Amino acid sequence: MTAIAWPRLVGISRRSPTLAIGFLILLGFAAMAVLAPFIVPFDPVRAQPFNVLAAPGGAHPFGTDGNGMDVLSRVIAGAAWAFGIAIPAVVVGIVVGVPFGLYTGYRGGWFDEVAMRFFDALRVFPSIILALAVVAAAGPSLFNVVLVIGLLDSPVFARVVRAEVLALRHSGFVESARAAGNPTWRILFVHILPNAIQGAMAQAAVRAAWAVRISATLAFLGVGIQPPTPEWGAMIRQGAEYLVTGQWWVGVFPGIALILMVLGLNMLGDGLQDLLDPRRKAATR
Amino acid sequence: MAVERRDILLGLAGASLAAPMVQAQRTGRTLLLAAPAAPEGFEGDALRPGTQEVVVQVYEGLTRYGRTVREGRDYLDPNVIEGHLAESWTSSPDGKTWVFTLRRGVRSAFGNELTAADVEWGWQKSLAQRRTGNFIATVANVTGVKALSQYQVEFTLSAPSLILLAALTLYVPGIYDMTEVKRHVTAEDPWALKWMETNTAGFGAYHLESVRAGEQAVFVSNPNYFRDQPFFNRVILRAVPSAASRITLLRSGQVQWIHRPFLQQVAELRADRRVKTQDSFGRSMASVRMNLRYPPFGDVKVRQAFNYAIDKNALIQGVFFGLAEQARSIIPPIVAGYDPSFSRYDHDPARALALLAEANFDFNQQVDLLYSQIFNWEEPLSIQLAAQLQSIGIKARAARISDSDMRARGAPARQDMPFFSFEDGPIVLDPVYTTFLLAHSQGVSNRARFADPRMDALIDEARQSLDVPHRNGLMRQAQALWMEEAPWIATVYPSVWEAMAANISGWCPHPDDHERWVDLKIA
Amino acid sequence: MPIGGLLLRRVALVVPLLFVILLGTFLLVRISGQDPVGLLAGPTATTAEIALVRESLALDQPAWVQFGVYIGRVARGDLGASWLSNRPVLAEILDRAPATLELIFWGVLIGAGIGIPVGLRAAFRPDRGFDQASRFLSLLGFSVPTYWLGLIMLFVFFYLLDWAPPGMGRISLMLDPPPRVTGSHLIDGLLGGDREVVGSAFAQLVLPVLCVAIISAAPIVKQTRAIALEVLATDYIRHARAQGLPPRQIRAMALRNSATPIVTFIGTEITGLVGTTSLIEYVFAWGGLGQYGLSAIIAGDFAAVQGYVLILALFSVLVFLAVDVFVMATDPRA
Repeated sequence: MTAIAWPRLVGISRRSPTLAIGFLILLGFAAMAVLAPFIVPFDPVRAQPFNVLAAPGGAHPFGTDGNGMDVLSRVIAGAAWAFGIAIPAVVVGIVVGVPFGLYTGYRGGWFDEVAMRFFDALRVFPSIILALAVVAAAGPSLFNVVLVIGLLDSPVFARVVRAEVLALRHSGFVESARAAGNPTWRILFVHILPNAIQGAMAQAAVRAAWAVRISATLAFLGVGIQPPTPEWGAMIRQGAEYLVTGQWWVGVFPGIALILMVLGLNMLGDGLQDLLDPRRKAATR
Repeated sequence: MAVERRDILLGLAGASLAAPMVQAQRTGRTLLLAAPAAPEGFEGDALRPGTQEVVVQVYEGLTRYGRTVREGRDYLDPNVIEGHLAESWTSSPDGKTWVFTLRRGVRSAFGNELTAADVEWGWQKSLAQRRTGNFIATVANVTGVKALSQYQVEFTLSAPSLILLAALTLYVPGIYDMTEVKRHVTAEDPWALKWMETNTAGFGAYHLESVRAGEQAVFVSNPNYFRDQPFFNRVILRAVPSAASRITLLRSGQVQWIHRPFLQQVAELRADRRVKTQDSFGRSMASVRMNLRYPPFGDVKVRQAFNYAIDKNALIQGVFFGLAEQARSIIPPIVAGYDPSFSRYDHDPARALALLAEANFDFNQQVDLLYSQIFNWEEPLSIQLAAQLQSIGIKARAARISDSDMRARGAPARQDMPFFSFEDGPIVLDPVYTTFLLAHSQGVSNRARFADPRMDALIDEARQSLDVPHRNGLMRQAQALWMEEAPWIATVYPSVWEAMAANISGWCPHPDDHERWVDLKIA
Repeated sequence: MPIGGLLLRRVALVVPLLFVILLGTFLLVRISGQDPVGLLAGPTATTAEIALVRESLALDQPAWVQFGVYIGRVARGDLGASWLSNRPVLAEILDRAPATLELIFWGVLIGAGIGIPVGLRAAFRPDRGFDQASRFLSLLGFSVPTYWLGLIMLFVFFYLLDWAPPGMGRISLMLDPPPRVTGSHLIDGLLGGDREVVGSAFAQLVLPVLCVAIISAAPIVKQTRAIALEVLATDYIRHARAQGLPPRQIRAMALRNSATPIVTFIGTEITGLVGTTSLIEYVFAWGGLGQYGLSAIIAGDFAAVQGYVLILALFSVLVFLAVDVFVMATDPRA
């Protein structure tokens, strides 16, 4: 943090406590993800066959799971997996969605009409089912999970960017760039994009929250990241089996971590949207 | 404060939120049973999930095992086979022709009397469908079945068989009430398989009254059953997918029987006085199979090394909560002829590493252990087993595939999984049946297709031998060869547990691990 | 008529959409790379039998022929048979749909009953304590994994407190479901006058409906607030305010003007809820459409998955059309 950034941050957090709290939560998880190898009390995937389903306490503050793995260590290690899926998925969404939104908004006409109708359907179609079905069909590798979540995210980014492009398309500086004979791609990426990207950035946090939720859901259903990987959804899946026989710790702790992380991202996104657009257009989700 | 809130919630729900216990009276002699899924078919030749559990209640065999009582509990005696639907039988001196005389007056629920033609029809059906029943015919050397008269039926064998009488205890090839079934035959469907998806027509103690797909099946006792009427005249089998819910239902007295509690729940159930738990021998091995046609498993040293690398006691504790026995042969301990003396793969990581070095094992290759959710133990076993392999430097990883994928890829037409977990065991308590099923190149449960000509020769010779000591000698050689070749990681035989209401008695373990409702009573 | 023309245009747009949906569901099975033949033919099938099954499914034909066969089948209302149970997919889905709709209906009713007043109140007094609290709770609602909420509810209300029945379907195991009229055990039980059935059906509904209500209320709060804020910022309301109308009248005006977009939003939300609800069904073993679809996905039964995804897509399209019609019918400008 530079000396100039601090007062600005303080100002922002006063204007939007939501954003500040969300940011702090995420900072905590980021620290957990980075420091995990140094702070976990046990190897998160080491099975201890003679110590399965130990209740919380002693050497295992969060207990052990059905394979005798330390739940606390697994919850900590899970943060890296959550980031590891959410960040690339959002990047995929942006890389695919933003250029598409730019182009379709700029070009307009039937192409725009068809694309938007298609996105409309995709957006309200139960995305979770779509993600599940496609990942189940394609196979549950990390690559597939990231790709599917990213692709399902891309329409959201395309829509946001397109809305901005529509507003900017006939603005003075775009008209003059066109008059100067710039090629379309140059107008799109050099002149329009920097002005249109803000909305997409605010969406990124919300979409990251969605990515974390979806990837955990996939794993919960056994279609996503596979055990014994310390992924929160996969841990809840195992915990579900024990919840009704009393070993609640296996599923409850990863669930709390998951909620906190998603909440942090949602608060961050909500705050960013507030900052960028105080009037909050109804169109944003 | 908490009490008040509870009252509010209860008042809101008309006090009926908790389990309605009053209705227990209403059931009378109904057995209510919670199973993971409702049966998806009622035809023994095409086993679908939940089929085997119910066809054994409906279709009974020409023969049955004798019974013994140990410590107040009923057990089958695999050494005694007595008549059941058949009253008596004779065999030709060469052992290739058997004539069975049927019991008279055996009637199905439809009122038709059992005749030799019914037996012939059931076997024709199995031979034509070329599935489970056909396998039974093959293993028992049966090539033809013919009705000689109304009550006499002749079996023709390609070679003598010591398995035949035991195989005839099975529900498949089924003995159907042909008169009824034939009413439902169509041109495209000569065996009325469509009708059998939702109907039964057997001579056994129960028959299907109604079925609601995916939810429940209701059975009623056959009013014409040739033995004593069963205690329970109605059995309702409800699908309760969650194992935790099944246990809860049993504990709260809402059902009297649940199918196969998980071992992790058994300890909890044993401490509960509202519930009775009983165990029986484990007959199926929770195994991990290696496919010789895929590297690195073509090398016997690698297979042996994988066997040495695994600490079976750690698996027994960590996966089976102590309720399992180390597997020391391909033949389970309950089967006569079981010989553990060739077992040699006690945990020895140093030996494993030495063998891998001899085999020039590539430690950089990824070894995926495929598992499904068909058996509850598969996930923890695969994860813990992979972890044990990792600890000696093998890049092993447990990888889940779907249940349907596991079944399809293990079927004879594919068998393309290099390394996977599965559970199989013999439903005929005979060593030759067992080895044929699991280790013969034509065995239907030899899911990684271990095909060794020496093994096939030993089993084929034993299948045709009536000389018991000679047969046992061949089976000893087969067990030694299997241990030496190590096509599976010999892990454990999990014990089988049944959980029932405290007042239920009469359970007798059967080799297919399915209770017979006709055995059960309240006492 | 302009509305008729617009509607026709909307319906016309559905056709290419349907094509895309069909292509998508067709491709779904293809990318799965799974061969159903082994499953359908059975574990001990011979090579000849397998070839026969392959032929009967047209799997020996090129992909575009298969796609044509698929479209033809769907057009005739044939969604194929499950790879595992061999039962017709469409019949299974229709049989289970009422259970899901029942859950969504009560859930959204309660969710909207809570969400709309909360969102309006927050909008009328923005940035006060109530607004901040409701925004936080709404964000929390967005963040809680549906299935985890269901699991925790079962743990607390069934395992610990024993107030609720275990999550295993729509009616106690001891009871037979009432004769089917609507498919909702609660309503059918009321129609049949069976108090036991009604009580049990109600008890089974409480926890899953509560979950749906919580999950659906969060976006309703957020969206109602945003819509109402926007309406309050219109010239029309500002004008009314400047004229000194009492706050009660202003709120009534704002409410009237917010009604259409709020109802529209809830309409579109329902399509998304079909997905979310499936997780709740899964946890409570509800036996509805969602559980059927999820189980098929988990088991790799792609014939059933295909049918399920297709039906959901058609449902979404229908809801969209209905929403469009609703907007046109209520929008004075149209």
